[in-house]
Amino acid sequence: MAMLSFAGMLRRSLVHRRARSVSALVAMTVSAGVATALLTLYADLDAKLHKEFRSFGANIVITAHANASLPSDVLARVQQAAGADALAAEFAYAVATTDTGTSVVVGGTDFAAVRRLDSWWQVDTWPDPALADAALLGQRAANFVGNEHAVALAYAGHSVTLRGVGRIKTGGDEDSRIYVPLAAFTAWTGVGPSVIELQVPGGAKRVEATMAQLQKELPDVQVQPVRQLVEGESRIVDRTHALMYGAVLLIALTVAVSVLATLSASVLERRRDFALMKALGGSQAQLMGMFLLEALVLALAGVAVGFVVGSAAAWAISEGNFHTATLPHLSVLPLVLLLNVAIAAIAALLPLRVLRGLQPAALLKGE
Amino acid sequence: MFFRLLMESFRRQRRRKMLAGIAILLGTTAVTAMLALATTIGDRIHKELAVYGANIVVYPKADLLDVKVGGVDVKPASGGAYLKQSDLQKLRGIFWANNILGVSPELRVNQQAFPAGVGAPSVPATVVGLWFDHDFGGMKTGAAELHPSWKLEGSWPSLAGDASSWQVAVGEAFAKRLNLHVGSTFELPKDSQLANGGLVEAQVTGIVSTGDDLDSAILVPLTVAQAMANKPDAISRVEISARTKPEDAFARKDPDSLSPNDHEIWYCRPYANSIAYQIREAIPGAQAEQVRRVEQSEGNVLKRISGLMWLISAAALLAAGFAVSAAMATAILERRGEIGLMRSLGASKGAIAFLFYAETGLLAVFAGTIGYLLGSGLAAWLGARIFAGDGGAAEAVLIPVLLPVVVALALVVAIAGSTPSIRAALRMEPSAILREDG
Repeated sequence: MAMLSFAGMLRRSLVHRRARSVSALVAMTVSAGVATALLTLYADLDAKLHKEFRSFGANIVITAHANASLPSDVLARVQQAAGADALAAEFAYAVATTDTGTSVVVGGTDFAAVRRLDSWWQVDTWPDPALADAALLGQRAANFVGNEHAVALAYAGHSVTLRGVGRIKTGGDEDSRIYVPLAAFTAWTGVGPSVIELQVPGGAKRVEATMAQLQKELPDVQVQPVRQLVEGESRIVDRTHALMYGAVLLIALTVAVSVLATLSASVLERRRDFALMKALGGSQAQLMGMFLLEALVLALAGVAVGFVVGSAAAWAISEGNFHTATLPHLSVLPLVLLLNVAIAAIAALLPLRVLRGLQPAALLKGE
Repeated sequence: MFFRLLMESFRRQRRRKMLAGIAILLGTTAVTAMLALATTIGDRIHKELAVYGANIVVYPKADLLDVKVGGVDVKPASGGAYLKQSDLQKLRGIFWANNILGVSPELRVNQQAFPAGVGAPSVPATVVGLWFDHDFGGMKTGAAELHPSWKLEGSWPSLAGDASSWQVAVGEAFAKRLNLHVGSTFELPKDSQLANGGLVEAQVTGIVSTGDDLDSAILVPLTVAQAMANKPDAISRVEISARTKPEDAFARKDPDSLSPNDHEIWYCRPYANSIAYQIREAIPGAQAEQVRRVEQSEGNVLKRISGLMWLISAAALLAAGFAVSAAMATAILERRGEIGLMRSLGASKGAIAFLFYAETGLLAVFAGTIGYLLGSGLAAWLGARIFAGDGGAAEAVLIPVLLPVVVALALVVAIAGSTPSIRAALRMEPSAILREDG
């Protein structure tokens, strides 16, 4: 009987004061939604930022010791040690002479790998992978080549004519080089790859671990980090992370306090209900339970709606900014739930201290 | 009468005013802090990104090809072209001069180094002349500023001392090869022709670890390298770090193919390409290029992080707006009795609405201003804590532009939030309200 009337009272209280219930529900939804959106973004932030830093290219350089080539199976071993998500490209270099008699560095490499690794290379047309004798000319090197479409090069008495398909522009050393496919390069010069540029995603710790692993497996090569990249990435990710943390706390606090104020004001406004129930014989504990239950029902409903809305907001923000989706994280749900329930419980209980001291009769009389 | 009502309302209903006031205060604090952080985040991250080095390089147009593999000059070019050090002053006259944050010229000389001790064989070495803490028109700049990832043990060399002794810094690998420590000495030829001129004592003031080819080089002040190469005023390359706007489709256009109007717009935007273009115009015989590896990726990272901050600020704005309008609605709802009483005493709807809006407005302006101050302080504190040790503390704590923006937002949100409640209360019969409230 007692339970039945409790549920009935709850239902009637929510339905009858519909405007107030809706405004409380909106407040709880906003707080849950904001918390969900920020926490979801926060959980994904590091991975997203590290992904952006991949555009800086290789962060580890593996080189053969002076005048030696790398062992033939090294690329596969490097790739295996670094993990499937690492990008690696091998390079072979030789100094050749162009048809105008200028010395130029010619690099042999796998264009497909370089294109993925060094996204900053500005190339008008990447050569067709099927084209075995394609050449890309650095924009400075191109000035020292007589015929850009049939690039005649000589190395140690062997000459070769390659089909120039485009120019590279990077603002770095690449501008004064000519790049050709590795197979064609090795067939022409007999020189094997001497450098592997490797990009390991995920920040300084992973880079260091990979370097240690590589050094252990390949003791006869040099493994070096590209120091400014590794350091810079960690610093910026850490700082953005801290900034985001501050923002999340600040916003969550603002919303929580505002929602708390709104809710407790609306509870306080129900002095007359409180007085009436007390006059009809309700005990303090029963009344507290009643108010609490009502607040908790609203809080849970707020979490249910807010989680969906917040996850959608996080998805939209990360799609808009990082161009990759952030899927809803169920792991943030407990924290959001805890936050909302805590706000609701405090909002319900805080005014009770004020109400306890009131005399029902005086209140009902309107004093 | 109106003012008395207004004043009394604030004096008597402190608790109710406090609720709405706190909501507005917190909302504006959060919004101000987020907006202040979002507007300064670009500069802050740019400073962090400086660790990646210069984003523009300048070299002589007529130069021969670099024949470098892995940072080692395989076939050093002789008789190449040079730029003039004195021309660097012209950088201060270009349109985006204020965006140039660092300048580091260099001159490379291939030289023989003679280890201390009689009869020791000479070692080939690259001598690199650089600026160290150079005063470039009031800006302290040089190689170390453009390469924050360099690690120095000891101190950078300076021109102090007489002609019989030069201060130098040496790369880590070179120091190991010659077994040099801070304070030890070796000898360098006085100039490029070994025959004339004798040797000069080189005193090691610092050992530097750079992580690239400079690890096996000797770093000297630029004028020393120029004297050694017999080429006063010559520099072979300049690295420039500039604050740029991330590249968009417009930035990639060829400026010479644009219409005069578009050319003007292109020219007056701080794209790396425009700054490079202006440097080419200013320095005769120079070729300036953006370092795409740094510039393209930096732009990307910068865009993402500041985009994130703006979106978060928007979320903060939305959430604060919701919270404030909900609080205002509750605050008005509570005072229906008052509205009923005033109406039954003969006040017009317009007068009552005006009184309530005036109260709301006053509260919004007052709490909004305090919130602005608190938020600015919070942003400065957060910024200083997170980006500590950047040496860039000289930024404004208060951003005056934000004050009217934030207060106006608080006003709009507070009035919008209270409107439905005021209208609902005015629509009701005064007698019904008064009876309900007993």
